[in-house]
Amino acid sequence: MKILLVEDDEDTAAYIAKSLRQHGHVIDHATTGRDGLFLAAGEHYDTMIVDRMLPELDGLAMVKTLRGAGVTIPVLFLTTLGGIDDRVEGLESGGDDYLVKPFAFSELLARVNALARRPPPNGQQTTLSVGNLKIDLLKREVTRAGRRIALQPQEFKLLEYLMCHTGQVVTRTMLLENVWEFHFDPHTTVVETHISRLRGKIDQGFDRPLIHTVRGSGYCLREDA
Amino acid sequence: MKTPRILRTSSFRLAALYAGLFVLSMGALFAIVYWLASDVLRDQARASVMSELRELTPTNPARSNDWLIAEISDRIATASQHGRYYGLQNQTGRIVAGDLPGPPTQMGWQELVAPNPSGARGAANASDDPEIVLLAFAHPLGDGRTLTVALDTFKISEAQEAIILAFAWAAAVGGMLALFGGVVLSRGFLKRVDGFNRAVENIIEGHMDERLGLSGAGDELDQLGGNFNEMLDRLQALMESLKQVSSDIAHDLRTPLSRLRQHLEAARGDARRMEDYETAVDQAVVDTDLILSTFSALLRITQIESGTRRSSFRSINLSAVYQNVAEVYAPVIDDAGKALAIDIMPDLEITGDHELLTQQLANLIENAITHTPPGTNVWLNLHQGAQGPIGLLGDNGPGIAETERHKIFERFHRLDVSRTTPGNGLGLALVKAVADLHGATITVTDNLPGTTFAIHFKQQAPEKTETV
Repeated sequence: MKILLVEDDEDTAAYIAKSLRQHGHVIDHATTGRDGLFLAAGEHYDTMIVDRMLPELDGLAMVKTLRGAGVTIPVLFLTTLGGIDDRVEGLESGGDDYLVKPFAFSELLARVNALARRPPPNGQQTTLSVGNLKIDLLKREVTRAGRRIALQPQEFKLLEYLMCHTGQVVTRTMLLENVWEFHFDPHTTVVETHISRLRGKIDQGFDRPLIHTVRGSGYCLREDA
Repeated sequence: MKTPRILRTSSFRLAALYAGLFVLSMGALFAIVYWLASDVLRDQARASVMSELRELTPTNPARSNDWLIAEISDRIATASQHGRYYGLQNQTGRIVAGDLPGPPTQMGWQELVAPNPSGARGAANASDDPEIVLLAFAHPLGDGRTLTVALDTFKISEAQEAIILAFAWAAAVGGMLALFGGVVLSRGFLKRVDGFNRAVENIIEGHMDERLGLSGAGDELDQLGGNFNEMLDRLQALMESLKQVSSDIAHDLRTPLSRLRQHLEAARGDARRMEDYETAVDQAVVDTDLILSTFSALLRITQIESGTRRSSFRSINLSAVYQNVAEVYAPVIDDAGKALAIDIMPDLEITGDHELLTQQLANLIENAITHTPPGTNVWLNLHQGAQGPIGLLGDNGPGIAETERHKIFERFHRLDVSRTTPGNGLGLALVKAVADLHGATITVTDNLPGTTFAIHFKQQAPEKTETV
């Protein structure tokens, strides 16, 4: 994947760029909002990682300008400012995801992957399938190998999100934010509990499990082990 | 030269302006009174002259010239007190009877100026002026003779002078009083402002306990001072809480930081194999994450307490928030060997922040999960109260001692019994901060055994209350 990184802090930028390259991505790096704007307007990127606070042109304004010019490259905002206000502001100005520094690299990687491979937002797709697991989004039905599986609403939401990100690593935080709208870190085992319940329903009694735990990162729904 | 301070105060300037306006309005009043009074007096004088003339004009031809002359001298004798003068001229214009000082210059109304005959006419209604001004009317008798009656205008000018004098005094005294009042007012005002200034200077010097003195009169200055004092109270409370937070951070972060350091030191000293180092690094990452999460929880509480998030309040379905959180935690509670009973009235709405209310309820539920033994019953209710929705989270766990109950919402406060359970002591502080932000109150009651937290929201949807 070709990723544009707009970050003025040299250490952070070097760390992110190096780690992403190790995962096989091509990275272009800009240190100011102005340079980032020119690069993003001139070349094609799969994803942009943009720091909120940038010299010359701040990240918000840069993304707003790009969106105004019709550039639809997915944007992940990075920020040292905590809090929800900034997140909402970032998303409203055209960002697609938001990550607060300091973050684990696995978190960044998972989110970048999810952004770049996001399916086009069309409402046509009403069934999703992975291997012999199928879900019908309209009827809210789940079957595996032809056998119907009854899920609780929360379990269905979780499975739907995992199916939408088949083959990608999704982190605990991504699940919390996108499945349950929890924008904080619970102290109890919310994610683990729900994953384990879901596993009990869709993986138990089948030879090949579909939900895999990725150590240190999160979970991944995929067909092969 | 510098103007004296009292002249520069706003209250004195105001008083001076009022004094000026007062004098000006007095002037206007004077002009009107003077003009009206002069008019009336002059009319009276004319009426008196005309009635005198009517009485003297011989309507009866039988009344002879002698009668007129006798009548005139008669009237002079009796009417001299009224300041009237008479004159009868014969056909040649010579004055043949009366005491008119000089002949009239024309027929009809006129003013005659003559030397003051004072003394001869009695002092009572005479002026000391060397000349007198007479208001005269000359009337042809038809046979060539002219009869003139005149009235001394001394009385009119005397009345006019009296009016001028009265108004001059009134304006002078009124103006002086207004100015004096302004000075007195300014003095009082300045004294209190000086008091305020001294208090503020003291505060600037670091005496944060100092407050502005109030007179107790409840006037604008008192209100200003009262508001200042309230502001100072609030600032002081904020400074105290900041101080508290700083020392809390110093205290509560020292433990995980020293643990991190110990782990790293131990790794440097003891680790021999690659796996040992990996374990140590993993442990260090866990330690660091704990510290960071405490930091971000603190920042979040501070941000909520600052009240800026209120600008993003929207009408939200509180029932849906509670339902979502309940569904998310139901399996967690189940796995912990506890039971959750849910009773949520649908479609209750308040104006608020979706994310924060979610976190508030999640924190309360997590508290109930973490601090109760297996087998505990937990119940979550949401129903409509008199003022607005009431959210209840109860359990029949060990409960919180009465003496501890008021402290549980403080930052980093942890009950001794819960020192060993995970948590940063900020969960309930956030619950409280979110409640405050929404204008909601929290009550903690004892279930004997167990605890119930009740969040009393205020109905903030005006369109609902209006239809009632």
